[in-house]
Amino acid sequence: MKQRIAVAGLIGLALWFLPYGLDSYAIHVVNVILIFAILAIGLGLVMGVAGQVNLAQVAFFGVGAYATAILTTHQGLGFWVSAVLAVLATVVVGVVVGTPALRVQSHYLGIVTLGLALAFTNWVTNAEIAGGAEGISAIPAPTLPGIDLSSEYLYYYLELAVFAVVLTFGLFVVRTGLGRRMRAMRDDALAAGALGAEVPVLRMTAFMLASVYGGVAGVLYAGLIRYVAPESFNIANMFLLLGMVIIGGRQSLIGCVIGAVSLALVREALVDHPTIAQVAYGSVVVLVVVFAPTGLAGLPTRIRALLARRRGHQGTAAQLQPFQPYETSPADDTRRTTAILEVEHVSKQFRGLKALDDVSLTVADREIRGIVGPNGSGKTTLFNVISGLYRPTAGRVRFLGRDMTGQAPYRLARAGMSRTFQNLRLFGDLTVEENLLVALDRSRTRQSWRYVLRPISVLRRDRDLHRQAREVLTRYGLTEFAGLAPKALPYGIQRRVEIARAVAAAPTLLLLDEPAAGLNGEEVRQLSEIVRSIRDSGLTVIIIEHNMGLVMSLCEQITVLASGRIIAEGRPDEVARDAAVIEAYLGDSMTADDLPTVPEVTR
Amino acid sequence: MQVFLQTVIGGVSLGAVYALVALGFSLVYRTMGLVNFAHGNVVTVGAYLASTFYLSTKLPFALAMVVAIGLTAAIGLVIERVLRPLENRDFDLMLIGTIGFGIVLDALIIMVWGATGRAVPSPVPSAPIELFGLRIRTYDLVVLAIAAAATVLLVLFLSRTKRGAAMQAVAMDHEAATAVGIHVGRSNAIAFMIGAGLAALAGGLVGPLLYVSPALGGALGIKGFAAAILGGFGSIPGAIVGGLAIGILDSFTAGHFQGYSELVTFLVFTVIIMVRPTGVFGERTVNRA
Amino acid sequence: MTTTSATGLATLTVEGLTVHYGGVCAVRDLSFSVPGGEAIGVIGANGAGKTSTLKAVMGLVPRTVGALRFGDVDLSVVSARTMVRHGIGYVPEGRHVFAGLPVEKNLLLGAYARKWNAATRQTLTEVYDLFPVLGEMRGRLAGALSGGQQQMLAIGRALMSRPRLLLLDEPSMGLSPKLVEDILAVLLRLRTEGLSLLLVEQNAKLTFEATSSCLVVENGEVAMTGTSAQLRHDPRVRQIYLGL
Repeated sequence: MKQRIAVAGLIGLALWFLPYGLDSYAIHVVNVILIFAILAIGLGLVMGVAGQVNLAQVAFFGVGAYATAILTTHQGLGFWVSAVLAVLATVVVGVVVGTPALRVQSHYLGIVTLGLALAFTNWVTNAEIAGGAEGISAIPAPTLPGIDLSSEYLYYYLELAVFAVVLTFGLFVVRTGLGRRMRAMRDDALAAGALGAEVPVLRMTAFMLASVYGGVAGVLYAGLIRYVAPESFNIANMFLLLGMVIIGGRQSLIGCVIGAVSLALVREALVDHPTIAQVAYGSVVVLVVVFAPTGLAGLPTRIRALLARRRGHQGTAAQLQPFQPYETSPADDTRRTTAILEVEHVSKQFRGLKALDDVSLTVADREIRGIVGPNGSGKTTLFNVISGLYRPTAGRVRFLGRDMTGQAPYRLARAGMSRTFQNLRLFGDLTVEENLLVALDRSRTRQSWRYVLRPISVLRRDRDLHRQAREVLTRYGLTEFAGLAPKALPYGIQRRVEIARAVAAAPTLLLLDEPAAGLNGEEVRQLSEIVRSIRDSGLTVIIIEHNMGLVMSLCEQITVLASGRIIAEGRPDEVARDAAVIEAYLGDSMTADDLPTVPEVTR
Repeated sequence: MQVFLQTVIGGVSLGAVYALVALGFSLVYRTMGLVNFAHGNVVTVGAYLASTFYLSTKLPFALAMVVAIGLTAAIGLVIERVLRPLENRDFDLMLIGTIGFGIVLDALIIMVWGATGRAVPSPVPSAPIELFGLRIRTYDLVVLAIAAAATVLLVLFLSRTKRGAAMQAVAMDHEAATAVGIHVGRSNAIAFMIGAGLAALAGGLVGPLLYVSPALGGALGIKGFAAAILGGFGSIPGAIVGGLAIGILDSFTAGHFQGYSELVTFLVFTVIIMVRPTGVFGERTVNRA
Repeated sequence: MTTTSATGLATLTVEGLTVHYGGVCAVRDLSFSVPGGEAIGVIGANGAGKTSTLKAVMGLVPRTVGALRFGDVDLSVVSARTMVRHGIGYVPEGRHVFAGLPVEKNLLLGAYARKWNAATRQTLTEVYDLFPVLGEMRGRLAGALSGGQQQMLAIGRALMSRPRLLLLDEPSMGLSPKLVEDILAVLLRLRTEGLSLLLVEQNAKLTFEATSSCLVVENGEVAMTGTSAQLRHDPRVRQIYLGL
């Protein structure tokens, strides 16, 4: 940490004295580079951090610049008033451009944002107010008492100050709750939603952030060049910007800055051969995408990992510690009989295939319910209906007495439902601790204004979350894995992390989808202990499982599904003797007589 | 009514070109799940190659087109080969990779043919035909005929040939396709090649309609992509309907909004995508847990 | 239909097969063989590693294997797409048919590795003979068939390559008892025609009747082996299944 502050200080010092060694052309180049760096940070936030393919960043830039130009020249407003209004205008445009992200993602979003960017260029080229193809010239220089900002040397310091502020703010966002949630959404929007991240709000926030950066860059550009024209905001520049972010490393804001600076310098060096420069950076983009998707910023980590493998390091020596059971919360007998979850006559149809057929079940408070059945019997579909991923074709789902049928997963999560997934959906690019932090953070995304107005309270909250995360890590014996990426961990530990994450979201009802899949005997035993302790702490648990030994010993009630219908329900020993169950599993309808007597189920 | 029909006719030939571009997008997406953002630049390459062989080498128009299609298809092969490691893996990275290719192609075009454009004379007499009081350019009919023929050939290839069936099989289930002995990589390469060939065909045809310049493909690519999405990504009838729809929309906006036609076209497109993301003939998008 | 070829009855030998998915070991050091003309079953509860075993034999998932031979052919160096050319047909789990293509096209694609000529037409007739319902539906899209019909189609498609060994992955999945009976009848008929079968199943009854001997797998390892007749009455099989 101290080292980092020292490095940042040195860089700051170097930047402070930079103009002394530059001629007037060079300082102009540096000023333009800083503007691109701010733009790149904005694109990095929306695309790298939040995973929203935004090809309209250059339009945000343009709106900021044009709004400043129009307000200062046509309306005669002062530069700073215009600047504030211009950034606000850009945010409005950001909201408009971001709206499609609520419905479409990935390449669809890419084409829509690209289309809107083209629409913007089309508008400024034609609109009289924007000066048409000639653009707007004679924008007044910004004024500051005592400082002549028409000097590019002094303008540099203005830009530097703005750059420092926006970079710090960007890093602040990325490293605290909001950024974590965005990265979680980027890695796996489904799992993030299941943990209560309001995906739509989050996407809009990302676009708004990007537009603020675009607007600020646009204002600075208008103040620097004092002339705006359509070609500064065309698609070629959008792709240049994209190249900066990809080559630098889209997931790291520092990487975006490095990318912007290096690409801008290369372009400057080849200023007489623009097409050669373009071939070069285009090729680098392709190479980076194929061979080093994390860009320049990701290289040190990759090289370190490679060297470690060369030296024959077998991962880390981190050890899994034993699980520390929760304190048993005294059972409240009045609640004992209340139903936590009521599934009423639910059917789910997929294009002709009836995955669920009139399924009804009621789960009582503090119950451990097992759901079993042969492959393809509709178990996971049932979970997906309960947790809001699917809307049932018919029937209702009531959770804590409220009708929650067809509600978005994040609303159910906020109402107290939490789940794990059959194939593990940990956030791969987040550390184990960050995975837990995403679940622990119950704040609302729409309270993100706090980042601007009450940064200290945000920091304090975040410190508090870290303390809670450490507690969870200790309880699940995961402390030594806190800083590691989940993918690098053995499967059994990943499973435990996912359960810890689901419980960290403080649910009332916990849904476990095949938690024992891929675990060895000892791990299954530990799992059984963990689930029982979770229940004893006051939660209700529903568990889908193939490992019948686990289900038989753990669950009080078992529901058996076959071909989308409930064929049996009852205590484990009852279910195991049920002829329909035996037939569903073994395929024969022999009577239960030649079954061995069921050993007493240990509870 | 007269004006209305005339506007529709004005949009149809460009719409047919958009449809060809959309077909290329759809075919590649359908078989390998790759969205080729360089497709527009490939169209430009095709347009320049065709016009070069037609104007400079004095080849007959049809022959120039064939040569251009062959050369452009080879470029498609290169793109597929380089990006193959990303296939069926990271959607967004592939998308950016093809943008990278687009940047490179764009620069190469300027290096080879210069930044200024060229006009390509129509290979057929330019006097329009009068029909029921409507004026139809002969070249528009040529474009329509060739686009229709290309579509029919593509459909026949996919439905009647072993290779075509195999390509569709790969798209539907690449594991089962492997098990019956289909070389998935080669099948994808061929899909990409055909996609690039269609792009070249669109580029060659559009030469006499528009001005051939480095910026040509950008607009065609985006509108072709919009057409593909509008019709339902991956669907062949969708690509055609989408292409014609965008062409006619273009023609109307050009008539009513003059300079702002592009703005209106993209706004309309955005709204449609918001309302129906799967397009007219769209399917799938089942949320999987 | 005749399925034995001039090369005679080849034995599939698998030794030391191990499959890892990410960090999880799905199959651990599994060894077995399928003698030519025999039918061998692999049974076990869900998630025991049966599907992974078949996919690994086919080369569809990364694997390590001590030895993998079919007759004289070393299959450990053969890519997944050439397996079919060595006489191995594969019926994937969950009826992976080409849903958007007609039934007949699905079947013809099964013969992709062969020339589409009169001999292929002959095989097609034989498959329609075996599954009359497919003949009735030949023009229908495969995705529009019922579950049982799709399963028939998946088997028929694999037969189109005229294999000497058929790998079947849970053909009974999601089917009603009546349809399972139909599948059993088909498998028995294929056996009498000299085809070797490797049947991976959860449905123990079907497997015991279709095969001569079986492996019971649990957690990716062999828990028991024996002839189907012995295992059928062994209570331990039930215990493994129902986790008692």
